[in-house]
Amino acid sequence: MSNVKQISVFVDNKPNQSAGVMRIIKESGINLRALSLADTADFGIIRLIANDTEKTVDILRAASYAVNVAEVVAISIPDSPGQLSRVLDALGQDGVNVEYMYSFLGTSDNAVSFVIRVDDNAHAAEVLTRAGIIQLTENDIAEM
Amino acid sequence: MERYWNEEIETMSREDMKKLQDERLVKQVHHVYDNVKYYRDLMDKKGVKPDDIKGVEDLHKLPFLSKADLRDAYPYGLLAVPLSECVRIHSTSGTTGKRVVAFYTQNDVDMWDNCVARAITAAGGTKDDVCQIAYGFGLFTGGAGLNGGSHKVGCLTLPMSSGNTERQIQFMQDLHSTILCCTPSYAAYIGETLHEMGLTPDDIDLKAGIFGAEPWTEEMRLSIEKSLGIKAFDIYGLTETSGPGVAFECCEQTGMHINEDNFIAEIIDPETGENLPDGEVGELVFTSITKEAFPLLRYRTRDLCVLSHGKCKCGRTLVKMTKPKGRSDDMMIIRGVNVFPSQIETVLIAQGYAPNYLIEVDRVNNNDTLDISVEMNPEQFSDKVKDMQKQERALADAMKLMIGINPKVHLVSPKSITRSEGKAVRVIDRRKLHD
Repeated sequence: MSNVKQISVFVDNKPNQSAGVMRIIKESGINLRALSLADTADFGIIRLIANDTEKTVDILRAASYAVNVAEVVAISIPDSPGQLSRVLDALGQDGVNVEYMYSFLGTSDNAVSFVIRVDDNAHAAEVLTRAGIIQLTENDIAEM
Repeated sequence: MERYWNEEIETMSREDMKKLQDERLVKQVHHVYDNVKYYRDLMDKKGVKPDDIKGVEDLHKLPFLSKADLRDAYPYGLLAVPLSECVRIHSTSGTTGKRVVAFYTQNDVDMWDNCVARAITAAGGTKDDVCQIAYGFGLFTGGAGLNGGSHKVGCLTLPMSSGNTERQIQFMQDLHSTILCCTPSYAAYIGETLHEMGLTPDDIDLKAGIFGAEPWTEEMRLSIEKSLGIKAFDIYGLTETSGPGVAFECCEQTGMHINEDNFIAEIIDPETGENLPDGEVGELVFTSITKEAFPLLRYRTRDLCVLSHGKCKCGRTLVKMTKPKGRSDDMMIIRGVNVFPSQIETVLIAQGYAPNYLIEVDRVNNNDTLDISVEMNPEQFSDKVKDMQKQERALADAMKLMIGINPKVHLVSPKSITRSEGKAVRVIDRRKLHD
């Protein structure tokens, strides 16, 4: 399995909440690879991928944050028009439901990376492999 | 074997109890009429003379006293003995207006300590116990009341007062406390902190808790009992009558026995003031028949509950009151519907949430709004927004079923709602209806 571990953190919809999370991460010397923030009227969910998942979860839990770890699919596709559409078409045609997705910086100027949260990781991986999409592993991300 | 502190009184036949109450009531009415001008004026206005009161059956002839009277008469207007006879003062928190002060003679303090000793004994306490008192000490009656009762029983008493929770737990471990006395919300917080410190109930020697001074639900009792590994007993009282110990729970945990050799209880219809029979919900009214310094007759507590005179399995014959549904001060009227914080608490605990919440009521465009902030349950945290919103909706639906109106539920971070070391503040009402 090439799934990547994503950490989610519950934050209140009030000033300085995300800053609090980032301060803790900064102080621990952890490096973030990807991040997105989903927000509702009441709360936000910070989703991030770190170079050391276990340590990040420990320090956030120690600071009383609600934390959850989910396995997500991470892909790298060429930075040209129509590439993402190709990925989503492949997933959609095979009935894989995408909950959410976000992009993050890779190391190459010619490619972009995405985190995709789906219901069924194994199914998604199979579809992506068949479509010839490059999937990133934990190691790939740690080495970025 | 059930143990009693005053077996004779606690298991007295109803006839003997009535005789005792009649005797004390007649004497008390004279004492008040002769020494408290404020109440004498109320009696005169109603056309009642002390001689009209020959027993408990005549109680209904006497005028009521309310919190407003106590404020009017502040500070000395209801005092029935010279100040030189008084040895102590306690006071209400004054959060709902002007403070109320109550006076005690040495006999009053002894009577009060005795009532609390009955409560501690009913919770299984003996002179071999170590009683940790984490109620606030000061003008508040909680600390002083339990402290006095604990001394009377002969427990090794730890007058900790509230706060510094980790130190509370440290003392609990080092000195092997067996009984904890505090507000239920603080007990819940101590339980939470215990687990956060990586400890379990096996690491402490507590066997019982005596918790009062604020309303709490059965669900909260179960949650405290589990987190501290104890049996949790309710204790009831109010500064106006003495303090905690007016009524106390026995091992049956099916209501609180009222110390009716000192306090006669009535249930009235809060609208009409008419007496209601056993089994009907109404406002609890107390008449202090032994207090010397501050003897209130027919004091309306604003607490809503039910009385029952059936004999209890514990052997006590003292009348039982149900846990007050809430003080009528705590009751909110929202969109015309009566809502108690305890109803919200019941739903939260049943749905697996911590009993930490904040209720905010406001009025927007002539419509009442009800917002309830609830600490999300970290075990149910999902990275998917729709899952979290589903949890908010499920909570709102369960509350709607309980209270009849639709609240807005807001999930907030764990630990973000301020923990209480004394009486918890659960409600903020921003409606300005009278100005």
